[in-house]
Amino acid sequence: MSKFVERPKYVCALGGAVGTLKVLPRTVPVLHAATGCGGNVALALNQAAGYLGSGYCAGQALSSTNTSEREIVFGGEDRLTEQIANTIKLVDGDLYFVITGCMVEMIGDDIRNSIKKFDSGDVQVIGAETGGFHGNYYKGYEIVLKTLFRDFVEPKAARDSKLVNLWGVVPIQDVFWKGNIALIKDLLNKLGYQVNTFFGDGETLDSLKNSAAATLNIVVSDTFGVEAAQVFEEVHGVPYLTVPFPIGDHGTTSFLRKVGSALGIANPFVEKVIEREQAHYYSYFERLADVYSDLDLQRYTVVVGDSNYTQALTRFLADDLGWLPELVVISDFLTDEQQDTVRSNFTGYESGILPELVFDTDASNVGKYIARHWGQSSGQKYFSGFNPGFIVGSAIERDVAEKLGVPQLTVTYPMSNRVVLDRGYAGYTGALRLTEDLLSVLVGSR
Amino acid sequence: MDYIREKTPPVREDRLGACQAFGGSCCDLASQSKKGCLYNNNRTFSQSQGCQLTLSLAILNTIRDSVIVVHSPIGCGAGMVAQAGTAKDWQKLRDPNAFGLRWINTNLDELDVVNGGEEKLRSAILYADREYRPSAIIVMNSCVPALIGDDIDAVIEDLQKQVSARIVPVHCEGFKTKIQATAYDAVYHGVLRHLVGVELYEGPELIIPDELEELKEKYRISHTVNLLNVSSMSRIDEQELVKLLKSLDLNVRILPCYAHPDDFADSFEAALNVSICATHDDYFSEHMKTKYGIPFILETVPIGIANTSKWLLDIAKFFGIEERAQKLIASEVRELDAALAPYREFLTGKTALLGGGEIRILTTAELLHSLGMEVLGLRGFHFDRYGESLLEQLLEDVPASERAIINIGAGQPFEQANLLAKLKPDVFVGHPGGNGWANKQGIPVFPLFGQTYNYMGYLGAFEVARRLTRLLKNTSYSRNVSRHVGLPYRKDWYDQDPFSYIDQGAADQGVAL
Repeated sequence: MSKFVERPKYVCALGGAVGTLKVLPRTVPVLHAATGCGGNVALALNQAAGYLGSGYCAGQALSSTNTSEREIVFGGEDRLTEQIANTIKLVDGDLYFVITGCMVEMIGDDIRNSIKKFDSGDVQVIGAETGGFHGNYYKGYEIVLKTLFRDFVEPKAARDSKLVNLWGVVPIQDVFWKGNIALIKDLLNKLGYQVNTFFGDGETLDSLKNSAAATLNIVVSDTFGVEAAQVFEEVHGVPYLTVPFPIGDHGTTSFLRKVGSALGIANPFVEKVIEREQAHYYSYFERLADVYSDLDLQRYTVVVGDSNYTQALTRFLADDLGWLPELVVISDFLTDEQQDTVRSNFTGYESGILPELVFDTDASNVGKYIARHWGQSSGQKYFSGFNPGFIVGSAIERDVAEKLGVPQLTVTYPMSNRVVLDRGYAGYTGALRLTEDLLSVLVGSR
Repeated sequence: MDYIREKTPPVREDRLGACQAFGGSCCDLASQSKKGCLYNNNRTFSQSQGCQLTLSLAILNTIRDSVIVVHSPIGCGAGMVAQAGTAKDWQKLRDPNAFGLRWINTNLDELDVVNGGEEKLRSAILYADREYRPSAIIVMNSCVPALIGDDIDAVIEDLQKQVSARIVPVHCEGFKTKIQATAYDAVYHGVLRHLVGVELYEGPELIIPDELEELKEKYRISHTVNLLNVSSMSRIDEQELVKLLKSLDLNVRILPCYAHPDDFADSFEAALNVSICATHDDYFSEHMKTKYGIPFILETVPIGIANTSKWLLDIAKFFGIEERAQKLIASEVRELDAALAPYREFLTGKTALLGGGEIRILTTAELLHSLGMEVLGLRGFHFDRYGESLLEQLLEDVPASERAIINIGAGQPFEQANLLAKLKPDVFVGHPGGNGWANKQGIPVFPLFGQTYNYMGYLGAFEVARRLTRLLKNTSYSRNVSRHVGLPYRKDWYDQDPFSYIDQGAADQGVAL
């Protein structure tokens, strides 16, 4: 049984559905939900994800039935049909995607009764039940992908052996999604593959429609998008590979080897790509050699966030930057099985660091774990605590950082204190951006 | 007015016959509103808006030393993640030791929908009390528990015996109303029932009565006003209004935003409730009158020179010190007029469309007019009798304003886009949260309010003039964006009547644009 969450770091499944659809090209989400669901989600997405903005047709422009008491009593299917028809008339799109809030599901509205009235139209209308009680943002992402794979992606008989699909970088919940997708795509291009990213720059709905021609679905996560990839395999026969989201040399090198092996690329070729990337990476990394020691830029670190980011950040901090990320708090909703998989990503560090891993959704507990891990000073003469410390987490972790007097960088959602456009932290290049951002905090007062 | 015996407040559609969909001229709205049938209007296409839960948070987010428990699936109230940073900063402006925003979501899931969520609510309230030891725990009820029949009042009544914090239920289920402002009634309902009152007030108890002290106390109360602030105003606004009231020798208690839960207890010890927004405060003011006999002033917002002066005079009239207020007003206005001269010169002839809450846009329209600008149209979130009287005032004050377009609806940027394309104003004055669309149309945006700026009182009028001038000095941002990004609507939308999707029943308009 689930429990309450103190200061949750995600919106509901409906929010995840809105977030995923609002950044899919030429797609118009149509919300069948109570008055307010759209506005509630808009605030959390637009102003707590690096100031993302309303996008093409979301935010206050998001088409919504604004269901209220009358429909709750008498049913809202007619109102939905009217809303879909008028959305198509008014809003220019190629795909109209109906999503639902809790209330309309609970009263038993069947969106399919409305959707099927548009079967013979010029534009495609599909839909899914995404009510908030189904879960959090990631669940919404998963539901939308599954629906797209079943109802939108066209079956393909032939495979393009040089084409792969990329999933698992969850738009908006990963505030750097756009930059991260571009960076990972670039790496896969270097391995000689074309990549459908669906949410990245230059994508069209056609690439999604034709994505069953790909030879492999690469899910850059052990938790997000995995169920959807299973559906893809079931429906279209395209196999999938799950691989941890990579940041930095150690994470990315392992990523490239895993992907290379899954795609059957000759080892020497993969190693050559790695070598070239490492040379570029360390040509910048080496610049810090002078100040790394003189300014003492090594920190004890706490990493707080989702299962994708925490493992990537921790590996980068431990194995690339030489920091001491000894405590990791993961705030996702995970099954025991998923927790085991996630745990396995925090082992085998070259640096020998073995972080303490905690699964906890409540923000206030982070401070307690820090106290437990490093101890609390009671004024003793000789004491080793969380000092010099650094917290890498969300904007919510500013409170505990302030309390402990340690610097903090917001990398995970919610992120109300940074503006993010095309910045990304994935791969080798992204890790250079991350290094800039982390160390800039430390030299900020100089 | 006496609704506070009930567990839940009525919605504004019922209480005020508030209207949420209209398009026509100011003159049409004024005449139709009197007929009282506008609340039936609807839209056949609508865009997202907030609900009363999200707007309730506008006040509740600010209450110091409290914890908010949102009893709902994980997404309701999620906007708090975007507001936590600023909420803390602004609480600290009132109390440097303020904790900022603390909240818990009860995370109702598929199982709870079947089995009920009361247990989760209990555990969340107990956790809030144990973890934070707050003065108040505010429990917000949402759609799902309302539909599955969770009895949050029973849970709270039971737990109140076990926890030290005052537990305040707020019934703000989103589906119950399209008038988001019902939120204010929901919040005040909880406040009136659980935070205000003699039984909660522990005043100084004198062992030996002191007649002189008692007289002093009576005198103090007879010169004390409750200034009912709104979350859309800044600390600078508050300071300006407090300064004006203090010039009239009045004591000022500021409620409800950024107050400590204890501040409400003795709020009945006041001579007058001074509202600055009827949309915000009529429920509270009326009930304070019914229950404690405190009269109130609710007519207007101190935005712009005319309305600030009217607001001050209304208050002065109550205390019988009009002459004194007249002198204050004359000296303030003289000084302000001189300071405004260069801005008036720049702004004269510039045109504007305004959007936001009815009270705020109607008074801001008067302000813009007084700066020499022309108001081409107004877009109000909703419309009720309080807007009606301000609209009449505007029609009187501003020549030719009866021809101005008025559009009622929360958000609905598609109607706004159509209006902006046709009216092509020099500036759009819009409610924060939905202003990107006007920028993307190449129309510079002046936010209708902002918690870091001064809008109210005489100083506010100057600041608005100064900032409008600054904005219009360089409009490159919106121009550049509009050249490269479009809005999502089909081209033919802009040839149609902006109010095509409003179902106005028998009272259809057909305004030529």
